[in-house]
Amino acid sequence: MTLFKQIALILSILLITILTTVLNLNFQSANESVQDRLYEDAKNTASSLSLSLGSANGDLSMMSTMINANFDSGNYHYISLVDVDDELLYERKSESEQLDVPKWFSSFVNIEAPVASANVSAGWSQVGILNVQSDVTYAYRQLYTILKDLLVSFSIIAVVGLIILNVLLVAILKPLKEVQRQAEAVIRNEFIIQESIPYTKEFRDVVLGMNNMVSKVKAMFDKGNKELQRQKELEYIDKTTKLRNRKYLIDKLPEYLKVDATSKGGTNMMIALSGVIEANEALGHRKVDELFNDIAEIFREQTEDFENVIIARMNGTEFSILIPDCQSMHGLMIAETILTSSQFVIKKYGLESSETFISIGLYEYNYTESIGVLLSHSDNALAQAKFKDWNIHLAKADEMVEVMGKDAWRTILLDVIKRNNFTFVSWSVVNAQTKKVIHNVLSLNLKIDEDTTYYFGQFMAPANQVGLSDDIYNNVLDMMFKTPDDSLENGTYSLRLPYEYLIKGETYDRMKALFSVYALTLPFRLIVEIPDKLASQNSELVQDYKRLFERYQIDMGIFEFIGESKDYQYLQDLRPVYIKGEPSYFISQNEQSLSALRLITDSLGISLIATGVMTMETLEQLEEKDIHIVQGRVTEMIEIEV
Amino acid sequence: MNIFKLLLILSVFFVNSLYAQKPYVEKELLNKITKKYKIFAKKRFAYLQKTLDKAEGGDDLQKLEAVNRFYNGVRYMSDKKVYGKSDYWATPWQFLGKDRGDCEDYVISKYFALIYLGVESKKLFFTYVRSSKFKAAHMVLTYFKTPRSEPLILDNNNRKIFPASKRKDLTPIYNFNGESLYRASKSGTGKKVKNKKAHKKWDELKLNMKRKII
Repeated sequence: MTLFKQIALILSILLITILTTVLNLNFQSANESVQDRLYEDAKNTASSLSLSLGSANGDLSMMSTMINANFDSGNYHYISLVDVDDELLYERKSESEQLDVPKWFSSFVNIEAPVASANVSAGWSQVGILNVQSDVTYAYRQLYTILKDLLVSFSIIAVVGLIILNVLLVAILKPLKEVQRQAEAVIRNEFIIQESIPYTKEFRDVVLGMNNMVSKVKAMFDKGNKELQRQKELEYIDKTTKLRNRKYLIDKLPEYLKVDATSKGGTNMMIALSGVIEANEALGHRKVDELFNDIAEIFREQTEDFENVIIARMNGTEFSILIPDCQSMHGLMIAETILTSSQFVIKKYGLESSETFISIGLYEYNYTESIGVLLSHSDNALAQAKFKDWNIHLAKADEMVEVMGKDAWRTILLDVIKRNNFTFVSWSVVNAQTKKVIHNVLSLNLKIDEDTTYYFGQFMAPANQVGLSDDIYNNVLDMMFKTPDDSLENGTYSLRLPYEYLIKGETYDRMKALFSVYALTLPFRLIVEIPDKLASQNSELVQDYKRLFERYQIDMGIFEFIGESKDYQYLQDLRPVYIKGEPSYFISQNEQSLSALRLITDSLGISLIATGVMTMETLEQLEEKDIHIVQGRVTEMIEIEV
Repeated sequence: MNIFKLLLILSVFFVNSLYAQKPYVEKELLNKITKKYKIFAKKRFAYLQKTLDKAEGGDDLQKLEAVNRFYNGVRYMSDKKVYGKSDYWATPWQFLGKDRGDCEDYVISKYFALIYLGVESKKLFFTYVRSSKFKAAHMVLTYFKTPRSEPLILDNNNRKIFPASKRKDLTPIYNFNGESLYRASKSGTGKKVKNKKAHKKWDELKLNMKRKII
């Protein structure tokens, strides 16, 4: 129960108790007052009647008549005259006991009409004593009216009082609401500074304290953000040409070489500038740097029509241009243009083209290759190019031996999608330090029949090729939400969704419709992993995803993180529960870079997770970098504590 | 004297002291009266006590005589002059303390002194009368030996006690006995009812006496 409700309840009870007590006292007082009135009336009658009776000189018939006249003309319950020996001389008693009030009232309220007495004398002689008791019918009616009026008045007072109480409480506790909002924001790792400082001292101290704390954490984040940006510049950018460097290419290549990669392949050019020593001697370092800049500009110009191109300076004299979705023939045309343009520039600097020239090795890669294969084939192509007169050489990847043709895959996949023949498999993400499972990563298997099962890595590439990957992910989400696997109950599971799937508006709409019906009954905690490439855009769509996930208590994770963003504000805005990156990324980070990243993630409560960790050796290297949460084959080698 | 005799004397003394009548005015109250009305008041109360003690053993008539004689020695003065009010029923302590008062004050003091002496309250009535001699409203204390017998009149104007028939100068208007009214109102309907009231002035007086107003 909230503090507001508790205080409201206590004060309401107090108010109602006070009102009830006052009402009761008022009613008691009215009751006594009515009874006093009854007595006074009776007393007045007794006194005046006794004086009148004195004039009858003890004549009982005369006295009876007087008593009758009084009794009939007024509201009396009883009038009696007793003689000096206490013998009854005459009495009149009201025969009607009917009360003009509800029965519950007459049984609830007991009105006792007091008896007033007066001595009656005739001359010096005593006649006796006259007793008079008023009729209570009128008193009951009067008291009943008083009670009704009191109840109405007190009900109005109670309602008005409760409304005023509520308004006052809301006003007094408004700062507390703000404090609560800020506290909840702190729990969500949001940085909210409360501008309006409450008047109440206790609240003011809390708000100032929280503002101070939030400011410090925000400063920590900002510092980490700036430091990481600076480190990224040092780490991934070539100072002279402002091109990317070799490290960037290596860190980025996994995104291009994976089964569910956006691009299925392309051309990678390795470009070497020969005769740099001679050029340095002839022009000096500064001029040669300018030459490099001009050549880099040629690279940019010639590849600007392609998306996701990586132009990297590999070392002092070599460059790499990775152009996804670029056919070899198109690549050759670009290479020729680069070569010609570069020769022109070299000549412009007054250098001998026989001494200073560029060579371009082209390698047509496909997404199934490893980084090592791609780079070694590219290097080989460059080596070949250097020996050619035209200084360009094209090498192609070996033709893939397909197990099945595209049409066969399409048939199988369509059938599986129709029959929902996917099954979830999961593997653990483990904290190597605490030896505890942090969460489980969900993947898919495709079961054709009892003997034939394809793994994600096997069927996803053909699915991409035949354009059915979106259908598969739709199918997976339907399966997960509509017919949740009971074996997943009470666990935490992550589902990784690719950039190409998430970037589509239909995906968002589909998720929204699905979540609105099924999300709240999901029997396990779900973390949806989105690629850093999408997250770092921090677009409206990403924000929509964030809000959608938050609404249904679904967490967000980020994968393929290499920290290439210019600003890490998106981490603060999205507040993912973790960031997943390749082990090579974490291991290759220098101390400043990693501590800057830590500053950001610690201030936001984000865990760092290394994926695809295969060996204990890699794990040790990661642990040296203070990365303890890992995913990959190595988790099978860690003894988990239950 | 042997021990037996000594014990006998002591026990007789002890029993006597147990049954001895309490003073009409308790010592503590007397000290207050003395403090307020000075030593002469104390002497008046001592004389009253002496009068009462003397009358104690007598019959009702002797008690009436003694009390009537004693109080009729107090000077008459109107309430307006003594208390600044047109009508005030003084407590016996105020009346004798101030040594003055009007007719009601005589009646009240006589009544309580007689009650102290053991006269039954049901025999004593406050009687409103008209005095033809003074052509004014007046009050006397009346004593009824039996409820039906002719009453004796204790008046402050006429120092002697006479039967009612001998007081032609007085016309009775109204008799009242506070204690009998209390009893009557309690048993009037046969039911127990809450009532501690009988007569406004009487009730005030009883309250003042309870509060020991001096």
